[in-house]
Amino acid sequence: MRLGEYDVPDDLWYTKEHEWARKTKGQTVRIGITDYAAKTLNDVVYVAPSKPKDAVVQFQSIGTVESIKAVSELYSPVSGTVAAVNGDLESHPELVNKSPYVEGWLIDVVATDFASDCGRLLGPKQYAAHLETLLKQ
Amino acid sequence: MLKTTQLYSYHSLHSKLTGFAGYEMPLWYTTTTDEHMAVRSSSGIFDVSHMGRVLVKGESAPSFLEGLLPTKVQAQEVGRAFYTLLLNDRAGIIDDLIALRTGEKEFVLVVNAANREADISHMEQHALAGVEIVDLTDSSAMVAVQGPRAEEALQPLTPLDLHSLKRLRCAEAEVMGQRSIISRTGYTGEDGFEVVVLDSSVETPGKAIDIWAALAAVSKPCGLGARDSLRLEAGLPLHGTDMDQHTNPLQAGLGWVITAGKSDYVGSDSVSATRASGPDVVRRGVVIDEGIPRHGFQVLDGSGPLGLVTSGTFSPLLKKGIALCRLKPERTKPGAEVSVSVRDSTKTGRVVTTPFYDESHYGWKRANGN
Repeated sequence: MRLGEYDVPDDLWYTKEHEWARKTKGQTVRIGITDYAAKTLNDVVYVAPSKPKDAVVQFQSIGTVESIKAVSELYSPVSGTVAAVNGDLESHPELVNKSPYVEGWLIDVVATDFASDCGRLLGPKQYAAHLETLLKQ
Repeated sequence: MLKTTQLYSYHSLHSKLTGFAGYEMPLWYTTTTDEHMAVRSSSGIFDVSHMGRVLVKGESAPSFLEGLLPTKVQAQEVGRAFYTLLLNDRAGIIDDLIALRTGEKEFVLVVNAANREADISHMEQHALAGVEIVDLTDSSAMVAVQGPRAEEALQPLTPLDLHSLKRLRCAEAEVMGQRSIISRTGYTGEDGFEVVVLDSSVETPGKAIDIWAALAAVSKPCGLGARDSLRLEAGLPLHGTDMDQHTNPLQAGLGWVITAGKSDYVGSDSVSATRASGPDVVRRGVVIDEGIPRHGFQVLDGSGPLGLVTSGTFSPLLKKGIALCRLKPERTKPGAEVSVSVRDSTKTGRVVTTPFYDESHYGWKRANGN
């Protein structure tokens, strides 16, 4: 769905801090930042995510993403172990702006218990409602 | 409640707005990188109406400023624009500014928005009989046109021959028929102009909006994001971040502003004392290989701490993190290997001369520059 200028895909889970999570295969969950987060940062110029084999905990830091002006902390939607990072972002961090949900993904995590993590995440409708509240402020 | 400038109606339609020094200002229109690169390769325009503009005039105006500024004011002919400082008794930097000598006994001082009131009160404390200090900020607008193609963008709007207006010169001229002061100055490192549009208020903007619209048709509107990244890449310090009332000119890397031999201005005794002992800290440029340095990050080498980053960003030209730093003078000469603590990791880098870019390709000194 779309909310103003922001794209909110219907098949993802979200955090209130504007990360998304998508189950790919097995227990692997792909993580990125939302269109709203990317547009708010304006132009992502540097991404420093957690590294493969790092243990991550739901809602704890998994690195930073930076625009020219600002640093934004990344929070993991799930708990588990980092399996891969998007190496393309090293030379092309602007992919986060161009394609936040596909080419601009950040890390893959093998989740320990995705089902229970989801219980604490927002669905697309809830995230859209959360965004709407933010935009009204 | 934030104030707005004469150009707010344009900004509110076309930009992401942000609060800055009490004004609602554009942060970006497209992206900071895009706007930054437009200024380096072509031209960009900035609404700088929020900056303070203070007219100092009268019989004693030259001698008044001579006693206040570390620059030899007598040596500045009518039509000169010069960068200078307002210092307190301890030589702390109250503000940095561009002074335009618009007449034998008339100057316009362009000061930082956040310091305008402090500047005016400092001037009033030292005022002499025969000096009038008039705040023009609310009755004028100001637009900067910056970049290698700035002259081409601005020339159609004014009968003044811009080609003959050299760098650091100013002149009164009409712009789209409106009385203005044009100076060949700026805060990006590039060639360019700053236009003070006189007799323009938020309520009665005159031609200010038309001037902006005409420029926007040929030049890229730029927000505060690009203004900051451009000035940093050019190695130009920002008051309040890279220097403040507790920093003297020698610590801030601005010793060159002080006219050699001048000793009759507010703060001169402290400047002389610092000159004799040597400053304990100096301003240095640092480039790091990975990551982005930010205000407050620590700079160190193998032997220990060297000082702090005062402002840092990602350089769109170098595609690396760059910083202005306040460091010990020892072990930090250009070429010195240093590291910056970026949150939980240490990034390697080195001290460099500023501007951070290659001046044969970028900035006002490049070939064909004025």
